[in-house]
Amino acid sequence: MSAVCAALAADPVLAAHYADFRDKTEAALDPALAALIRQAVAAVHGMDVAPDESGLDDGTRTVLAYARRMPFEHTAISDAEAAAVVAHLDEAGFVAFSVLAALADAECRAALVDLPGLAGA
Amino acid sequence: MSTIPRVSSAIPGEPAHFGSVLAHQPAIAESFFALYGRFWGSDVLAARIKEVARMRNARVTECGFCRNVRFDKAVAQGLGEEVVDDITDGYETSDKLTDTEKAVLKFTDALIHDPELLNCDAKTALQRHLTPAQIAELGLGVTLFLALAKALITMGLEPEVMDRTVLPTPAVLEAAE
Repeated sequence: MSAVCAALAADPVLAAHYADFRDKTEAALDPALAALIRQAVAAVHGMDVAPDESGLDDGTRTVLAYARRMPFEHTAISDAEAAAVVAHLDEAGFVAFSVLAALADAECRAALVDLPGLAGA
Repeated sequence: MSTIPRVSSAIPGEPAHFGSVLAHQPAIAESFFALYGRFWGSDVLAARIKEVARMRNARVTECGFCRNVRFDKAVAQGLGEEVVDDITDGYETSDKLTDTEKAVLKFTDALIHDPELLNCDAKTALQRHLTPAQIAELGLGVTLFLALAKALITMGLEPEVMDRTVLPTPAVLEAAE
């Protein structure tokens, strides 16, 4: 369970809305890729090990390299980097990926400040 | 940072903006707007407090769109530009921001920038000024503000120029309920 979902335990309606948004975002991508993106972002925050990229295709590696930029370098991502991800995922996939990678980063940060603990969950 | 959209609008005739680009993923869009409307519609935490956190996020993440938008509910609750102007580095010494807002800003900085900023004093202040339910809602808000700002920026949806714009506060759509 994400730190945000855990913190919202006392507000089941808002928690359900958040869980639905999270689920819909993940469901728009291949489940294995979504898990790799989350893992790559968490690894940047020191909350997980980096994904084992041996055996992954070049497109997936490109996506993961981009995801790793989201936590601390989001303003430095170039048009060329974005175009490479769009070429691999297509535009709709790029939109889902952008939301997922950004949400994964924000959720890691919510966990790092112990949002559930602060909220008494 | 690009101001040229990196993805096209999915709505014929509309330029690329957050809504028209998110329309590439209708299920995500529908779920997000329902969540965002519910979040802003809740009065557990005042809209003014939420907007203070949103403005801080906008400045730290360098989201020009977020920085120039104001939600009317927060404006009606007294969040004028003279207060917004103080939501910058050094806000701790502001005489326009309340102690509650300063505690909220410290939490916001910790979440979006450096968790070490939420030291014992900052944590105590936050929990003195906000209830657990309010902190949960604030945490949700800052999570969404940060994620959306980064998604918007990385999709190249930053405006080249934008005037300050007061928008209706997101609300729960009747059809979504």
